[in-house]
Amino acid sequence: MEEPSKRQSTSPVMAMFEGFRSELDEHHDRRERMIKASRDITAASKKIVRALNKPLPGFVAKSNAQYWGIIQTQYKNISRDLQGLNAYRYGRNITGGNQEFMEALSFQHYLEHQNLITYKEANDYVAKLGGEGGPVLLTTEDYILGIFDMVGELMRFAITAMATSGELPGTLVQEDVTSRESHDEQAGDSMDVEQPSTTRTQHPQKRDVLADLRELRLCLEGLEPSRGSKFEGDAEKKMTVMRQCVEKVETALYGLIVRGQERPKGWVPDLREERRGAEAIEGY
Amino acid sequence: MADRTGMVDPAIFEDLQARIDEETSVREELRGIIQNKAVQFILARAHSTPAYAFSKLVSDASLAIEDEVKIIAKLSQAAEKLPYYKWNTMWSRQIQDATYGILLCGWLGGNGSDSQPGRLLTIEEVGGIMNVPVNLKGRDGFHLTIEEYLQALISLVDELARLARNSVTLGDYLIPILISQFIKDLHAGFQILNLKNDSLRRRSDGIKYRVKEVEDVVYDLSLRNLIPKDDKGKKDDAT
Repeated sequence: MEEPSKRQSTSPVMAMFEGFRSELDEHHDRRERMIKASRDITAASKKIVRALNKPLPGFVAKSNAQYWGIIQTQYKNISRDLQGLNAYRYGRNITGGNQEFMEALSFQHYLEHQNLITYKEANDYVAKLGGEGGPVLLTTEDYILGIFDMVGELMRFAITAMATSGELPGTLVQEDVTSRESHDEQAGDSMDVEQPSTTRTQHPQKRDVLADLRELRLCLEGLEPSRGSKFEGDAEKKMTVMRQCVEKVETALYGLIVRGQERPKGWVPDLREERRGAEAIEGY
Repeated sequence: MADRTGMVDPAIFEDLQARIDEETSVREELRGIIQNKAVQFILARAHSTPAYAFSKLVSDASLAIEDEVKIIAKLSQAAEKLPYYKWNTMWSRQIQDATYGILLCGWLGGNGSDSQPGRLLTIEEVGGIMNVPVNLKGRDGFHLTIEEYLQALISLVDELARLARNSVTLGDYLIPILISQFIKDLHAGFQILNLKNDSLRRRSDGIKYRVKEVEDVVYDLSLRNLIPKDDKGKKDDAT
């Protein structure tokens, strides 16, 4: 095509397309900045999560500071491009990073407070990271999908703790756990996995990770996504993995109760196929 | 909140579900608005209509476009209060089709083109006919995007390539020349865009084949001396 260059200056069509070109270039540049930031946030979040899973909390807080710093910088850099109309336009490019960060944030929050960070808290947190450019939006989808992933981390946390200490990590609660049990029963269709709970109700004063996992599972299963939305598909995929995660802890606990005494300290249950969500689906 | 002994504050998921339910009802409202194809059905008759009868076709299509614009008004009203890019995938296809209908109608001589075929309506003109803003940047609201307009242009090119052959069948040997020049201009335009590997890129890659198809038609005509003499200037430019 040599012809166009000749016509370039004369044709009104060309002038129009030159306008389009600059608009599209601006769009693509911005989009790429989002994707890059999303990747960096993902990478830093994964490092945070990995470090949190190590049994050295004090040390971890310090070494993770740099990753929190990276995340903050990234959000600050892109926040200006995520305002108003653009919040959703580029939302789909940043959602990966948001979800991964949500996983790290909720996991850390759980380790510190033993409860689930609320959507509002999480959204406020991410909004603050936007800095001068304005708040960054964390959608409910980002939040929920992040929580799904966090279940996987809780599973790993529980298994590691069982292997090293020989019991499930937990906290003492003031009120009787059984009151919450009855609440769960109304909500759920997960009665088929409730059998091992007898081991827990023997000492109802203690709330452990497995109880929390089951509660999360019920809550996540109770959500009804809009028909035909992208979120419906995403949630469905993660649901399978999430259920497997809870069941893995239940299986491990069963093993611990039945054969636990025979095992030496530091024995790790054989759960090799658990590596990551996506692979777990394929194996399913 | 009262029985907060567990890990999850029940209010969290109640709140989330409420938000999701809200979205579900928006989705259903929008879905109810979007459905229309009348304009394309009418304009499809172009393939069996000689150029001198385009004006009747165009006036029929214009009426259908008016109806379509009413639907777009309804959609735009419903969508105005929503974040545009959160929902636009729901109607983007329909807006592209509507844009394409308006563009084709304009090319055939409608929509203020003074019954002369061969005119390209700009994105602003299409937005004017639809009565919606185009390429909004400053604020969030319903509008026609550049991508939608470009997608519709590609549909127009595909359709015109077909029309070039069919108009020859009807004995009209001038239309292909007009189309050939028109498509070449658009092709040159698309060439300067830096498209990423998206659907716009994939579809615009097909334009060069349309250019060639129409060139072949023009070649066949000029080889057989079928192109009217008084249009010499145009012919030289096109071949």
